[in-house]
Amino acid sequence: MALEKQRFDTLILGAGGAGLNAALQLANANLKVAVVSKVFPTRSHTVAAQGGVNAALANVLPDNWHWHMFDTVKGSDYLGDQDAIEYMCREAIPTVYELEHNGVPFSRLANGKIYQRAFGGQSQNFGGDQAARTCAAADRTGHAILHTLYQQNIRAKTHFFDEYFAADLIRDQEGIILGALVLDIATGEPLLIEAKTTLLATGGCGQVFRTTSNAHINTGDGKAMILRAGLPLMDMEFFQFHPTGIAGKGMLITEGVRGEGGYLINKDGERFMEKYAPNAKDLASRDVVARSIVTEVRGGRGCGPEADHVMLKVNHLDEEVIAKRLPGIRESSKIFAGVDPVKDPIPVFPTAHYVMGGIPTDRFGRVMPTSDDDGDHLPGLYAAGECACASVHGANRLGGNSLLDILVFGRLAGKNIIDYVRDNPSHRPLDEASVSSAMDRFNKWDAKGDGITVSELRKEFRKTMEDHAGVFRVEDMMQEGVEKVRAIRDKLADVRLTDHSKTFNTNRTEALELENMIDVGLSIAVSALHRKESRGAHSRPDYPKRDDAEWMKHTLYWREGDKLEYKGVRSQPLTVESFPPKERVY
Amino acid sequence: MSRQASGLRAWFLQRATAIYLILFILYALQHMIFSPPANHADWQAWVASPLVSLGLLLFFASLLLHAWVGFRDVIIDYVHPTPIRVTVLTVAGFVLVGCAAWVLQIIILAQIA
Amino acid sequence: MKFSVYRYNPDTDNEPYMQAFEVETRQGMMLRDALMAIQEQDESFTFRHSCGEGVCGSDGVNVNGSNKLACITPLSELKETVEVRPFPGRPVVRDLVVDMSQFYAQYKKVDPWLIRKEPMPEQEILQSPEERDKLDGLYECIMCGCCSTSCPSFWWNPDKFLGPQALLSACRFLADSRDQASEERLNSLEGPYKMFRCHTIMNCVEACPKGLNPTKAIGHIKAIMLKDAI
Repeated sequence: MALEKQRFDTLILGAGGAGLNAALQLANANLKVAVVSKVFPTRSHTVAAQGGVNAALANVLPDNWHWHMFDTVKGSDYLGDQDAIEYMCREAIPTVYELEHNGVPFSRLANGKIYQRAFGGQSQNFGGDQAARTCAAADRTGHAILHTLYQQNIRAKTHFFDEYFAADLIRDQEGIILGALVLDIATGEPLLIEAKTTLLATGGCGQVFRTTSNAHINTGDGKAMILRAGLPLMDMEFFQFHPTGIAGKGMLITEGVRGEGGYLINKDGERFMEKYAPNAKDLASRDVVARSIVTEVRGGRGCGPEADHVMLKVNHLDEEVIAKRLPGIRESSKIFAGVDPVKDPIPVFPTAHYVMGGIPTDRFGRVMPTSDDDGDHLPGLYAAGECACASVHGANRLGGNSLLDILVFGRLAGKNIIDYVRDNPSHRPLDEASVSSAMDRFNKWDAKGDGITVSELRKEFRKTMEDHAGVFRVEDMMQEGVEKVRAIRDKLADVRLTDHSKTFNTNRTEALELENMIDVGLSIAVSALHRKESRGAHSRPDYPKRDDAEWMKHTLYWREGDKLEYKGVRSQPLTVESFPPKERVY
Repeated sequence: MSRQASGLRAWFLQRATAIYLILFILYALQHMIFSPPANHADWQAWVASPLVSLGLLLFFASLLLHAWVGFRDVIIDYVHPTPIRVTVLTVAGFVLVGCAAWVLQIIILAQIA
Repeated sequence: MKFSVYRYNPDTDNEPYMQAFEVETRQGMMLRDALMAIQEQDESFTFRHSCGEGVCGSDGVNVNGSNKLACITPLSELKETVEVRPFPGRPVVRDLVVDMSQFYAQYKKVDPWLIRKEPMPEQEILQSPEERDKLDGLYECIMCGCCSTSCPSFWWNPDKFLGPQALLSACRFLADSRDQASEERLNSLEGPYKMFRCHTIMNCVEACPKGLNPTKAIGHIKAIMLKDAI
């Protein structure tokens, strides 16, 4: 049967905040835009973001974007690109206003302005008093934003391909991306979408770890597609473990809980963050808090029968505050921890949460294919959101900056694509060889017979990643991890599907996802093994210090031969003075 | 479609008539309990008194309207093929109009007597 | 724990059937965990799920006769043998996966986006905390479909009756002090079908995993309409 084809100006893979905000710009400009999502758009994981989105609106306390920029650079442990960070912090303000105009139901202050709460790593006046920069819709900000963006896209008549799974990018001999081969999950039929521009907005990959706040769908599909297309991933060793996941389960308890006045205690009831971060205490940067919790537990001061977690105390707060500002958290705690935070503290432990690294882009969302500092972007290919690395988060992301990242760069990529399509109005000829190699990716799963099941290998892989690339990383442990993941990659050839039917075959999509996760997992393990310093979320007891002389550079990882190259940090902002590296204390 | 059409009006009518139906039934009940008509003449006299006549007229008008809306709701929910639906509604309409005529006849006859 | 699970694969089965599974349970296990364990036993078993914490709305299923979100339904609350079926009234695609396109189409019919006729201010549109409070109980909907697929009026007229989910969304915009299209919204809900098929059966209220109350929202819309019409 002939392969069905459709043509669009732009193909967007992923319907989270980044994809939908880009789609909205494009559809408003009357471009023909296709959004492909493996789940119905409002099921994308942006929906789970709780705390809020940072913007220096100064609605509660004095603030300006320059302070926000300083905090972000410092939070990144000076690995973030300062031009992109400046751009993001300035654009934050109009971006949040635009969201509000689009209908996001932000919580409000008495004067009618958007409510802003304190979050970790935020300061006034370049490291001074705590700031309140996180714009929130109770503790359901991601939900409020994602639904609003979807609603506006319905209005703008964006073309959605719901429950289509993207298999691979299609490219020509010059390496230009021509679109993607996707699979209609409901029917099992492939579809070729040709596009003048392609935007990857496929989100994170937290599923590579066993305990994670991420959804089942967060399998790093876009990142893996990039690797298979012969392009690199940047800074994949930097994986954020959120300090407060529900112990043993991984569901997130927002930093907003600490922003509203909650704090962490160990089994002796001691407020231990005072030891590790005397000033910011529980609102220190996430990497600092996560390491402190693990250190407490390893020091035998953990709570519970297994002494394997700490407690997040909220019950000293007014019940009214909890009901008004943290209703979702109260609900989750009751359901998953069996604890009502109004009465008892919540058991928490760090959970794999966010990958700072990803597809290298410039601050316009254009994909940068080389390690050359002055290298050019790849025409027509864009990436935005957690799958991309602009790089605004460097070695550690601040809370409230991820919604900001997806919205600012999604919006900006959209605007850039409009210009690109105007200058490049025609489709390039299709490359049949590339189509058939993408088809092979489907067809190879048709192999029948006995073998390992998808779930068996997935379990083994996720456990390996957790054991060998977690919060603390030492050389031997990581070396072993890399070898184990390579062995797992080899085992993929022995995986057999038990289900070969066409209709809604999740066995097949999960196999494709596993393949993606393993490629991405290896990029994390290999990049981490070679970075011999401690910076941000990458913490190496064998190299406990940050080493700016040797390691103030971005890692680039290619799948072919697990090749690594390095690229300088862009420390020159656009209009202001650079923030030089300083020791990072909170 | 304007707001005057059958959605809101039907919904409102059903509730407004329901309230009247309850009130009139309460009145009629208390009359039957405390001063029950002893014979046909008593009945006739009661029905013929102007206020009761008016109340009864309103009662049956409300009852028929209420029944019409309720019946229409049931038909809309359960009977989907258009020809059958139109037929059933038309028949129901005739029956209700017939009932109305009958009620009117009874009251007028009572008045004359 | 014993489970009886609805199975149907149009590629291989002529008829749907119920299949028995046994799952080893542990403390705090949710129905979604059990369904995943069943999937490990039989990888051809199909259901939608994603976030695992009740915010994405993917894994609505019918359990022991009522619609629930699997990921926030503790097994300890369920009577054995647990009977898991797809949402009632929707065409089954495969196993627990149903075709929700009509449900989404009804959502789109209420113009579920903020409509503002005045030019936008430079900063945020102001809204008092009291005005914002009116959105609570309306904006939190996750579109899982538990309500609409448990509503008899929606079973009878899924193409014409908007269903509790879409009506809740309509109310969300009518209640928003920033929205300037109340008149049009009210007009578009008129007629015997779109909203007035609701007979306050209230299955939606019982089914909503987020504790929202679509019946109340529908009542609220009717009240505004009436106030507006008189």
